Amino acid sequence: MRKLGLPSEVGRLAAPVVGLLDAAWQRMHWWIGAMAVLYLLSGITIVRSDEVAVILRWGRLVGDTPGLREHGPGLLFAFPRPVDRVVRVPVKHVYEVSVGTLASTDEEFTFDPVTQGYALTGDQNIVQVNMMARYRVRDAAEWSFYGPKADDILRAEVTAAMVRSLGEMGVDRVLADGRRELVATATRRVQAGLDAAHSGLEISSLELTQLAPPGALATDFDAVQSAFIGAETAKKEAQAFAETAIPAAQAVADTTVQTARADSAGAISKAKGDAEAFLALAKEYRANPAVVRERLYRDAVEKAIASAGGVRWIPPPIGGSYHGLRITIAPAGARAKSLSDPEGGDDRP
Amino acid sequence: MVDALRTQRWLRAIVGSMALAAIVFHATAVVVTEGQTALVTRFGRPVRATTRAGLHWKLPWPIDSAIFLDMRRRVYETGLTEMLTRDKKNVIARTFVVWRVGDPLAFTQALGSEGAAGGKLDGLLANAAIGILGGHDLSALVSTNPADLQMDQIEAELLSSTSPVAMRSYGVAIEQIRLNRIALPEQNVNAVFEQMRAERRQFAARFQAEGEREASRIRSEAELEAARIRAKGAEEEARIRGESAAQVARTYADAHRTDPGLYRFTRSLESLDKLVTVSTSLILRTDSEPFSLLQSKDKP
Repeated sequence: MRKLGLPSEVGRLAAPVVGLLDAAWQRMHWWIGAMAVLYLLSGITIVRSDEVAVILRWGRLVGDTPGLREHGPGLLFAFPRPVDRVVRVPVKHVYEVSVGTLASTDEEFTFDPVTQGYALTGDQNIVQVNMMARYRVRDAAEWSFYGPKADDILRAEVTAAMVRSLGEMGVDRVLADGRRELVATATRRVQAGLDAAHSGLEISSLELTQLAPPGALATDFDAVQSAFIGAETAKKEAQAFAETAIPAAQAVADTTVQTARADSAGAISKAKGDAEAFLALAKEYRANPAVVRERLYRDAVEKAIASAGGVRWIPPPIGGSYHGLRITIAPAGARAKSLSDPEGGDDRP
Repeated sequence: MVDALRTQRWLRAIVGSMALAAIVFHATAVVVTEGQTALVTRFGRPVRATTRAGLHWKLPWPIDSAIFLDMRRRVYETGLTEMLTRDKKNVIARTFVVWRVGDPLAFTQALGSEGAAGGKLDGLLANAAIGILGGHDLSALVSTNPADLQMDQIEAELLSSTSPVAMRSYGVAIEQIRLNRIALPEQNVNAVFEQMRAERRQFAARFQAEGEREASRIRSEAELEAARIRAKGAEEEARIRGESAAQVARTYADAHRTDPGLYRFTRSLESLDKLVTVSTSLILRTDSEPFSLLQSKDKP
């Protein structure tokens, strides 16, 4: 028994442990066996649908390219620790970081750059901008083991990109139609920065939650806005005027022409009627000149006498001439009083 | 009984050797994970750095021991530094660097802990920024003219002037330097505000003037057009009336030519009718028609 055993000193030291092991094995060898199997299987990992996993074997990444390193969702077979370590990275998850380094703080009265965030535009105006960046992991291994802290690098890169992009645009473009271009340029710069920092991250969107001139200048900027709107309104009103004035002129012109046409038609038909009447009269006249002439003359004289305001009769002249005859014609209003006798007809004494 | 005894012996041997192996492994293996570096020290003196991830070996404690360094990249943002540009303008700038441990030995010796890196970098970067921005105009930083802007160049200069020093002195590898703040001293901000206000007022006035001018142009054009249309209508009217007058004249002339004598007679009768109105007083001799008829009856 001794020849196969360990040296007596070691044997004596190990005796309690050996005794414990023997007792444990005898009582629960099934349990021990099951635990050993479980340990051997402990490297098998489930990778969820929004994750990829990489395997570290003795601390070193398995696979040479990102494509070979990263394992998609499903079961992943790996050795148990300490040989393999599986690192799962949620690559589909989109993280958000709010970047307020260039935004205004509550202290409106100071413009100390330490407390108050702002940026200079290309034409040296001051604007304040509040941003929200959304990003996700692009290279799981690089991000997990070599990349800087995601929020730190995002804040720094977004601020730098925005400072630079604002610095090349005028304030009016920034605040009006250049906003989309500003965001596009800044996003491109952020991505370039993230790549240069080996962050393994990808910016998915950059949103400007606030972009405005400082509060102290808000009224001045509003005044420009309202002047612009006022100018547009004046133009619209002028256009509306033009749109009514021209058709109105057209209508007047059309009416004039139509009236002229109607009048001419009337005049022509009247002329034709008169001409026919004259021809008829002329025919009658040729047949009985004296009778027709007499009738026409008498008709006209009667009509003239009937329509005249006043008719006075004077006797025929004596000896061929009138001597001392005075005729007073009263004004139209006093016509009723007028008398044929010159002496009596005068109101004045 | 003998089988059970043999199994127990085997088991003892396996468990014993495994325990021994684990102890030896723990004492001599250095497992370097990705993103780490192990610095192996012999009796406290650093002897080598293993930057390659994987399994490495050392002599057991107390001869060798391993210090692990985090090789991840880190972001350090400097404080705000006021400086003067070449065109003598005060600006306040801030930079950030992305750095990592470049030389683990030098890094541990120079800085010891990782927290100290920031302070050293701050001074280095502030000096570099003051020097380099002093060689550029403010328009190299902010300008609407792309030809003026020299940000890429400035950042490259900052990197080239700091990274060799950082590497040599502190074992820090600087990978990226960017300006992430360009501001003005507080006392200059008011001047900028005044300038911005003046510019806004100018814009407002210009918009207003332009709007008024444009509106009056549209209006006067419309009025001109309307007048032109009306004139055209009047012209057409004159033409129509002229034509019809001619036709009327022709019609009358054609009829009257058949008997000019009768025409003259009827025409003078018409004139008489037209001339004698309510406001006319007729003075007739009693021996004229038709009164003469009465006389002739009375007289004989």
